[in-house]
Amino acid sequence: MSEVLIALRNVTFGYDAAQPVLRDVVLEIQKGDRIALTGRNGSGKTTLLHLLVGLLRPQAGHVEEGGKTCRREEDFVGVRRRVALLFQDSEDQLFCPTVIEDVAFGPLNLGHSPPAAKAVALDALSRVGMSAYEDRIVHHLSVGEKKLIAFAGILAMRPRVMLLDEPTAGLDEQAVDRVVTPLNALDSAMIVASQDHAFLDRVTQRRMTLSDGRLASMG
Amino acid sequence: MSCLAFFAGHSPIHRLDPRMRLVSALCLAIAIALSERLVTLVWALGLGILLAAVARLNLLPLTRRLAHLNAFMLFLWLVLPWSVPGVSVQTAWGFAITREGIRLALEVTMKGNVIVLLLTALVATVDPSRLGCALDRLALPDKLVHLFMLAIRYTDMIHDEYGRLRNAMKARGFQPSFSSHTLRTFGYLVGLLLVRSMERAERVLAAMKCRGFDGRFRALRGFTIRGADVAFAGMALCQVCVWIWLERS
Amino acid sequence: MHISEGVLSGPVLASGAVLAAVGIGVGLRRMSVASTPRTAMLSAVFFVGSLIHIPFGPSNVHLILNGIAGILLGWTVFPALAVALFLQALMFQFGGLTVLGVNTVNMALPGVVAYYLFRLVFGIARRPGIVFGLAAILGALTVLLSGLMLTAALALGGRAFLGVAVGIVVAHVPVMIADGLVTGAAALFILKVRPDLLEPSRPEVPT
Repeated sequence: MSEVLIALRNVTFGYDAAQPVLRDVVLEIQKGDRIALTGRNGSGKTTLLHLLVGLLRPQAGHVEEGGKTCRREEDFVGVRRRVALLFQDSEDQLFCPTVIEDVAFGPLNLGHSPPAAKAVALDALSRVGMSAYEDRIVHHLSVGEKKLIAFAGILAMRPRVMLLDEPTAGLDEQAVDRVVTPLNALDSAMIVASQDHAFLDRVTQRRMTLSDGRLASMG
Repeated sequence: MSCLAFFAGHSPIHRLDPRMRLVSALCLAIAIALSERLVTLVWALGLGILLAAVARLNLLPLTRRLAHLNAFMLFLWLVLPWSVPGVSVQTAWGFAITREGIRLALEVTMKGNVIVLLLTALVATVDPSRLGCALDRLALPDKLVHLFMLAIRYTDMIHDEYGRLRNAMKARGFQPSFSSHTLRTFGYLVGLLLVRSMERAERVLAAMKCRGFDGRFRALRGFTIRGADVAFAGMALCQVCVWIWLERS
Repeated sequence: MHISEGVLSGPVLASGAVLAAVGIGVGLRRMSVASTPRTAMLSAVFFVGSLIHIPFGPSNVHLILNGIAGILLGWTVFPALAVALFLQALMFQFGGLTVLGVNTVNMALPGVVAYYLFRLVFGIARRPGIVFGLAAILGALTVLLSGLMLTAALALGGRAFLGVAVGIVVAHVPVMIADGLVTGAAALFILKVRPDLLEPSRPEVPT
């Protein structure tokens, strides 16, 4: 039985309390887990991931990280240093003018000095094959390039758990490879929400499905 | 935005014509701003409370507004009683508190609260989308009305965008503090919102032109004046006259 | 630098309203119909931007951002800020409606000053370091000017209010610092990403 890194304990959540999107969901992500999260559009995959890092709070149940119950913002501040979320829309995630500044944002927040943060950022960029983009302007990049930069941004945080929301949406084959390679080289645990079954087969080993608000294991 | 807590109500005030409300509110507010006698202000306070009750204003947001205003008033109370020259009433910490100072602080506090009550009951209860039309009918320039309506429309969208960016920053461990990192981060955030908004505006303009936009303002729904509106405007006018008379005597 | 209802005297409110009307008139004349969406967007951004608060000791500092507003809009900053201030008064009771004229002049006039100063230097030097420094100084300066104008408005109501005014200006020193640095970073961002947006004359499609 591996160490449970983060878990949802009987979580029920709805944007409108009368219509829960997630019902009594129990999920454990253990060390070494590589979980695929599938489900139709609107099934609550993004919601589940946002709940894990405290961007949303459940109406019932709670989040548990490293054995600790997390309910308040102060608890989640610590969680986000160890559990990184890749947003579905990179437009929501990138906001610095240059690539290197954006990738270094996470490390700076974690307390690295500027030179150390830059070094970590450069390392993350090289892992996704985007070292040449160091001084490029983020705003001018294509959708695919932005996705890879956003991915580098969370790699730079060296998280214990990675939450990836549709990481290959909008990416061509080459770009998908640039995501798969570093993912498979990582020892972080991860949960990947995606509709791209070929990609999921390459990076995950366990599959779960959200349907009607309930989470179930498949195979 | 959820802050627009007052316009989604049902009350006799909500049913009044927005233009009448705006004009009456402005006249009443100006009359109060110019008043000085305590008797006028007490009367006005009564009216403000009455209007707030008739408009069935939500108590929680109303209290928050008044708290915000009175926090500033508290600051005034800490300064004015000492700084106005006049008849000394008491001495504290070596400085004299004057009767005139207390009176001035009281006058300002009452005025502020009365005006907030009046304007919240009459103006904040207007549906924002109708507010633009109302302003147009009150002969404000077309360009200004357009500006106002577009700004209202886009405030929500930009606020949402801001929220998503802040969430993403939070998710990467960002915690604001009074530091150069925080200020640079917010600067980039503001810069990004500005760039995106200006680019979006270019697309909005193109879309409007494709649908024949020529700069003139044309409202879909009109306004009708009913008996109740005239009666209300009449009452407001009477109020103002009463106050003027009180001030003069 | 908002003043709330009930504090200023009648003549000051009236003058404020008149001056604001003049400024808005000038601004509207310089705003072509085609640039209405852009101005409205910027007005909305400043409204949202004023919600940003930065922790400072036990409380918060709210950004004002009339510096970057002025730099981007010139005289059109008058109607843009008037609309933003009106919305703020409506939704949050930030400032007020009787004082809308005075608040508009206090916030917009320094913005116009910032516009001309920015044009002056930007015409000569465009290096990122200079733009950042210039915008940061202008960002802080506009807050200072707004504070001084507020002091003047209060003082016109009687010497009694001078103490209040001084208190307000002193309390805004952290705002000056915050606004300055945020304005500098924002201008730097725009310079790097879309430098054409900092140019004064934008080619407009005739309506």
